[in-house]
Amino acid sequence: MNKKDVILIITLLVIACVLLLFINQEKGNTANVYYDNNLVLKINLNKNNDYDVKGYNGNIHINVKDSYLSVTDEISPYHICQKKKIHNVGESLICLPNKVVIKIENNELDAIVGD
Amino acid sequence: MQKITRLSSLIALSIVLGILESFIPLFSIPGIKLGLANIVIVTTLYIYGLKEAVLVSILRILFISVLRTGFGLNLYFSLGGSILSLFGMFIAKKINFSIIGVSIIGSTCHILGQITIAIILLNTNLTYYLPLMIVLSIITGTIIGYISQENIKFLKNK
Repeated sequence: MNKKDVILIITLLVIACVLLLFINQEKGNTANVYYDNNLVLKINLNKNNDYDVKGYNGNIHINVKDSYLSVTDEISPYHICQKKKIHNVGESLICLPNKVVIKIENNELDAIVGD
Repeated sequence: MQKITRLSSLIALSIVLGILESFIPLFSIPGIKLGLANIVIVTTLYIYGLKEAVLVSILRILFISVLRTGFGLNLYFSLGGSILSLFGMFIAKKINFSIIGVSIIGSTCHILGQITIAIILLNTNLTYYLPLMIVLSIITGTIIGYISQENIKFLKNK
């Protein structure tokens, strides 16, 4: 390790901090569900509900509770997209084997189908 | 002929390291790896050069695709990350960073490449992963870099 490395590490840490400051964490009210890059469902996050979406391997079960969205059931080898709950604008869940992507945004509330 | 044999062993070694590290539960966030296989890549870069390192990297990724993961999106993530990583490490080495510095740049470029490709192919904003990923890259890059450094020192003294 020499001085250059220390400068490198500090620079990277500074960049990481700057990025952190620029990230807007605002609560989302809509979730857009995409199958194979096509929008198939818009979910209103303000209503607690459960949804079933067709995925490549089978149905995916989505749960919305207290504005948090999570995938509770899907057929895939590692279930990676079931490990997190999403909440804020910009966050997303990606169920790769099922070709499903769920993204959170903020929309005009009239435009959402949620019931 | 001897070189082909050596490079083949290196490719095999990097594949085995990749499989081994999947047994270490590291961080709960999917996609985070220690990158033990990169010890081989960094060592190859210093002992042989960029061409050989690229060869080992790409063949390794292709073999793993055939053996385990298939030819879907994961392949593009790996290729994108590795290519950017090799490019970054080559330049870092030219600018005379230490082996550990080169490794840190390698790991950072790797994750940057993967996230960029994921953003392009999946059409989703994954940039909020970056701060954490950068910190993790520094840590894993240092570890891999240190091991590579000792390895290279050992090999060069033989």
